[in-house]
Amino acid sequence: MSRPVRRSRDPFAEALGGLGEGRSADARRVRTRGITIRFANGRIHQPHFDELTHVSFRVADGCRLGTATTSDTSDRGLALVRESALGLARVAPVEPKFLGFPAGGGPSVVRVPFSELTASLSPEAVTKLAERVLAAAEEVLPGSRIAGAVNVGQEELRVVNSAGLDRRSRSSVAQASVLVDVPEKDPPVSGWSEGAHWDGARLDPERLGREAAERVARSEPKSVPPGAYRVVLRGSALSDVLAFFAHLGFSGHGEEEGWSCLRRRRGARIAPEFVTVTDDPRSQHTIPQGIDYEGTATRRTALVDHGIAGPAVTDLLTAGRLRRELTGHAPPPEAPWGEFGPSPAHLVLNAGDASENELVRETRRGLLVTRFHYVRVVDPGRGVITGMTRDGTYRIERGEVVGPARNLRFTESVLTILRGLELLGRERRIYSDEAGGSSVTTPSAAVRSLRFTSATLF
Amino acid sequence: MGGRPSVEDLLRTALGVAEASGVMYADVRLVAPQRYVHLAVRNGSASALTDARREGLGVRVRTDRAWGFAATSDLSAASARSTARIAVRLARAAGRTAPNRLPVTDDPVPKGGRYATPVRRDPFDVPREEVLSLLTDAEARLHVGPEVKSGLASFQAWEETKSFASSAGASFQSHIVHVGAGVSATAVRGSSVQRRSAPTSFGGDFAQAGFEFVEGIGLAERAATAGREARALLSARACPTGRTALVLGSDQLALQVHESVGHAVELDRILGSEAGFAGTSWVRPETIGHLDYGSSAMNVVADATEPGGLGTFGWDDEGVPAQRTPIVQAGTLVGVLSSREWAARLGLSRSGGTARAQGPERSPLIRMTNVDLLPGDLSFDELLEGVDDGVYLETNRSWSIDDKRLNFQFGTEVGRRIVNGELGDLVRNPLYSGMTPEFWRSMDAVGNRATWHLWGVTNCGKGQPGQVARVGHGAPAARFRGIAVRGG
Repeated sequence: MSRPVRRSRDPFAEALGGLGEGRSADARRVRTRGITIRFANGRIHQPHFDELTHVSFRVADGCRLGTATTSDTSDRGLALVRESALGLARVAPVEPKFLGFPAGGGPSVVRVPFSELTASLSPEAVTKLAERVLAAAEEVLPGSRIAGAVNVGQEELRVVNSAGLDRRSRSSVAQASVLVDVPEKDPPVSGWSEGAHWDGARLDPERLGREAAERVARSEPKSVPPGAYRVVLRGSALSDVLAFFAHLGFSGHGEEEGWSCLRRRRGARIAPEFVTVTDDPRSQHTIPQGIDYEGTATRRTALVDHGIAGPAVTDLLTAGRLRRELTGHAPPPEAPWGEFGPSPAHLVLNAGDASENELVRETRRGLLVTRFHYVRVVDPGRGVITGMTRDGTYRIERGEVVGPARNLRFTESVLTILRGLELLGRERRIYSDEAGGSSVTTPSAAVRSLRFTSATLF
Repeated sequence: MGGRPSVEDLLRTALGVAEASGVMYADVRLVAPQRYVHLAVRNGSASALTDARREGLGVRVRTDRAWGFAATSDLSAASARSTARIAVRLARAAGRTAPNRLPVTDDPVPKGGRYATPVRRDPFDVPREEVLSLLTDAEARLHVGPEVKSGLASFQAWEETKSFASSAGASFQSHIVHVGAGVSATAVRGSSVQRRSAPTSFGGDFAQAGFEFVEGIGLAERAATAGREARALLSARACPTGRTALVLGSDQLALQVHESVGHAVELDRILGSEAGFAGTSWVRPETIGHLDYGSSAMNVVADATEPGGLGTFGWDDEGVPAQRTPIVQAGTLVGVLSSREWAARLGLSRSGGTARAQGPERSPLIRMTNVDLLPGDLSFDELLEGVDDGVYLETNRSWSIDDKRLNFQFGTEVGRRIVNGELGDLVRNPLYSGMTPEFWRSMDAVGNRATWHLWGVTNCGKGQPGQVARVGHGAPAARFRGIAVRGG
């Protein structure tokens, strides 16, 4: 005689049931844990911890969609959020291209590189990492002003839908950045370093601290007139360009609404043959993410394949509207992310074989740029962006770094920058936001020409 | 019988754990709920219809050397206790790196204070059908021709019910409501993309008010104009290049104030606290009180008491009362935005009351309140009359400024030539750039109250982990001389 199996309740999945004829739904539960230890003026000044859960429900009443979210995961909270989503769906305008939620084969865990140790680091352990960054920078440049942050976090994502999909995935991230400057110099000089990894053990706090301090120029920055220069972009600068390139070129909304800078260039050559840019959320060379926020398993997508532009990425709604396949790039459907639409967020640029010295050596006259600041879109259709250099801009003459430069503003099309890639560095690094939600893995690179349109005073 | 603890019990529990640990100070913010409704219609279809609620508890403690902060979305007594313990552990660990004592100002504290937004029509009670009908009608009017590839009409309502208590005996409750709406048309021809938004870009205009504010925007009427202008911009000439007279409309000048005044006078930036992320400031602490920031026509205040502003409240997230602080008087920098710690580090005896957090899950930082450029006495026509040849620009399209808030370059959705004191043809892709002090010193005339508007900005980013603040900016139209402009 078999004994009945006692199953524990699953209120989250159960909330999808009983929606009524013609209705369907999907739901996400996102659990995050994050620790950020910020330091400035050589001391830790903003230590932070949070442990947060939220649930979002999207209900389809036929082809009318409504979304609601809550942080109250009690039965009452889940019932309320379901009713809110349903209430919105009832009155929503029809989404004629909604094709229904994708079917799934029951519960599954999508495993990607993940570090349990990183995900569970204690506040004291993360504080220790920050202290190691500070000590390393201070050792190289005693008396300097040191600022930055160490971030460690994890996210557990579960997506279920009424077509039977039930997928989970976990991601972990450790990220650090450090700025070292000598503020009493006029103009001030500063150095920067940053890095990220899904495995905190692979983050090297001493290296980051030393690197930032060693990059602080010992001489006074000189003014450089605005104009077009050959540039060597360190990974921390190129990562910004690639992130904007990915959004302006491959956003599903951009394709749908006609503002993508690659709309008429799909399948055409936009970069040299040696350039391949992928969106690769499963790769251990990114901050991995196993599923998107609609539960679609992520996969490698070639955005630029040996210089040739690939298609835009999609989520459920843009795939329907564009009649394309799902690529696994759904953001959370609720505003503001839903408004932003699908966009690549795990970029990988292939490495080349040049050292940083070799990148510089190939530059007769130009600039070495460590980092950009406040990069913004000027003209999406032409892919034009603008931003300032920051924290380590140097003059290159006859293949050598000859001293620091005062900072400049660039205004240039991402397409011109991609087309102008001449040499790629051999060492790649992961650059990530603090939560690991988006990352860019890139080497340094030499770019034929970058247009600088003005200069600042420091 | 279980159930969720009351707000008072949760505050008392978290404070009790923190105080028992021996820290010098603790405060607890409990938000239940923070609610956000976003309804948007894009090209006739629903786009991200969202009703979001979240709750949470944030505990901040201070030892003699350092702060510690921890937050949870789990409103149980056990979670309140563990969150408070983690905040204490963080402060103790951070204190190891602090060579000196952590100073704070001694400010008066509220005892049972209450603040609530005056609302005539609660935006959360307005039937969704009514809002969607308004949006659908407005969005349809954006499509004035086939060139308009995308239209968007959106409505947002936000409310926060917050309870605050501290170990210093402070307590207050607040209920704040923000609403806003806007439309945007995107016209495309070849690689030319032109966008026109109303009342302004990035979601429209916002206020601390009820639905009556949205009803007063006139969304449908503005939509048709926005659609026509987006289409017309495709055929417009590029903005001319050169140094010229520039008249900025109120919405673009609000953004200019935000980027080149508001952020630059945040005291934490001035004193290096944000150096690693957002940056510092061109303002040096020793120049506060006599720095020549702009022309004598420039008067700026930070006013957290201003009715209707997104930066208006009863008390900030340290329990310091809302204040109206002069920032620039007749061109001279006279004040800054401050919090209890940073005011004390500058040697001030009182905080300016601008420590604000995005929600319970974030620690308060110095944020703008309502940072306003005060009106002058010229009408809009009188501003134009002083220009033989120049450009008029409005509605931000792109913005970028260096990490000391000096070198900026802003683009607007639309421009018009000014010829012999009158507005002329549209110009497309206008950009203007400059250096903050030179720019403000070139302001030779400021528009009167009729040109002035208090704008709501919902997307001001700062901090690690990132926070988004909701701030206000009142700005008139104003005239500047010798500004570098060009077509992007």
